[in-house]
Order: sequence, then structure tokens, then C-alpha cells
Amino acid sequence: MPEENLREIKVMANLLGANDVQAEVNRNHFKQKKCLAVNLIGSPGAGKTSLLEKTLTGLGTEFGTAVIEGDMFTSRDAERIAALNIPVLQINTGSACHLDSKMVNKILPAFAWDTLDVMIIENVGNLVCPADFDLGEDFKAVVLSIAEGDDKPEKYPVIFRNAKVAVLNKIDLEPFTEVDLAKMKAQITAIHPEIKIFEVSCRTGQGLAEWTAWLAGEIRAVKETG
Amino acid sequence: MHEMSLMAGVFDIMEDILNQDEVQAVKQVRLVVGEMTNAEPEALQMAFAAYAKDTKAEGAVLEIVRAPVLARCRACRQEFPVSGLFFFCPHCGQSGLEIIQGEELLLESLEVE
Repeated sequence: MPEENLREIKVMANLLGANDVQAEVNRNHFKQKKCLAVNLIGSPGAGKTSLLEKTLTGLGTEFGTAVIEGDMFTSRDAERIAALNIPVLQINTGSACHLDSKMVNKILPAFAWDTLDVMIIENVGNLVCPADFDLGEDFKAVVLSIAEGDDKPEKYPVIFRNAKVAVLNKIDLEPFTEVDLAKMKAQITAIHPEIKIFEVSCRTGQGLAEWTAWLAGEIRAVKETG
Repeated sequence: MHEMSLMAGVFDIMEDILNQDEVQAVKQVRLVVGEMTNAEPEALQMAFAAYAKDTKAEGAVLEIVRAPVLARCRACRQEFPVSGLFFFCPHCGQSGLEIIQGEELLLESLEVE
């Protein structure tokens, strides 16, 4: 084939276009139901489910709460939430390393929305892939355990830039690790100066009251104003 | 490996073009990948080869253009490249930055015959 038969086609289309459109549908749904939606992201073992358990218990009965659990294969996390008598549904992603907006949309009809004020979506344990996929949430919350090391914000900047809040978990381990907590926080702030940072320990309970109170404020803001 | 999902997006977008009779083969596919995304060029290349197999895009060159992070300061309106993951305005020191480039994942263009 001679060169002159080559022609260029301009496309300029977003690779995540289909996901983003579906995410907007989800976002409108949450908004209509005056339900705050949180996309909880963190690496495996950061303590996402432990934080969820403590948070849901700490929020008490003021709000209607529900959870979507993302996991590649198991339903262990969903079982832990169900034990608290909180509505929870599991999405098994199989080989996929993240939730997408279509997976979330598919199970939305299974919840009793008129009773809900907050929906927490626990993503697949991974600091990388979930950061690129909008689920239609109000905001992303990133959980990082301090034992993962103070270089992690710099290594995974996208999630720290895109999250509204960072919860630094396992703060009680500080004396037993080499982590430089001040450096960790400085890195997070350099990447995202407006981010809220909470230091908590799900084991000792340290800092959980402050985090839960902040989240309750976010839930009320959506509930009252829509 | 969410690059497989991203590549599914590329082939969804290309589907109509590949289905056109006058398109015999795709020679080049050009993506723009922002530095503030988590898409790895090498993983994208692997995913592209997997998706392109047995299509008109098999053997095409995947060109990946990295888009550096550019921001605009909401306070002083100046635009500048963000370097060293430091999201403060180098002109006025404010933190309220709007990212104007570096978060895109785009199929920019195709070269076909």
C-alpha cells in the first residue's frame, strides 16, 4: 500500500468516557436520595474494613448507613460489615483490580434508599487503579497505614491528589517503625494542600472520634441541603 | 493492570472506525496519557497488543504521548508546570490550584489506510 493512502482520523475521545457517563448517573442517584457517597481506597491491609467497622459503630443511629464491598474474590469484608447489622452488598470483581461505575450501578437498586444517608464503597485493596475510576461518589477517602512507609504519598500521588481526606491508620505503631510521620504528612500536603488528614488507630481507638465527627458533618451537609 | 480496562475504552471508541469498509488497516494509534494518571505506558502496550490481535489494528504502532502536569492558580491566574509533586503556586505561594493538563487519558488520533 503506497504511503499516500495513509490518512489521519482525529478522535480526541476520553478513554474513561463510558465510565464517567455512568458515574454521573450514579452521582445523580446519590444526590436525589440525599445520600453521601464515599469511595474508600487504600492498599491491602491498610485497615479499610477495620476503619469501616469503627466508623459505622461510631456514627451510631443518627444516620442510615450502607456499604458496598469491592473485592476480587472473597466476601470476607462484607461478612464483617453484615455482622454489625448494616446493609451490605459484595461486588466480586474477579480479575479486575478496581471497581468501576457500571459495577456499582448494577447493584444500586438492591438498597432501600429512602432510609439511607451515607453509602460507603470500599474499593479493591489497591492504591493505583481505583484512583482513575470515578464511581459517582461525593469524594474519595484514602486510608494509609503508617507502617507502609512515609514514601508512599510520593509514590502514589494520584490518589492523594484526588482524595478529599486521608486517614493515617495504625498510628499506635509509630514507636515500632522507622516511619517519619511529619514527612509523610508534609508529602501529602505538598501534593494536595487542601486535603484533610486524620491520624487514627483502629486498634486503640485513638483519633477515631475526630474522624467520625468530621464524616458526620459531611453526611449532615448532604442530608440537609441535598 | 487497569490498563486492560482503559484499552477496552480505546477499542470501544475505535469500533465504528474499524467497521468502516474503506478502512483496511490501522497503522498507528495515538494516546495522550497525563502524568497525573496511573496508566503505565508498558502495560498499555501489552494491553493494546492483546486487544488488537485479529482486528484491523493488529500490528499498529501505539504511540503514547505523556502530558506533563500544568496548573492554574485560582488566586493570581498564572499558569505553570507542576514539578516535584509540589502543588503550590510558584508565583504567589497559594495552594488553590486547578489542574489544566496532566489528568487526561485520551485517544487523540488514528492513522489508517
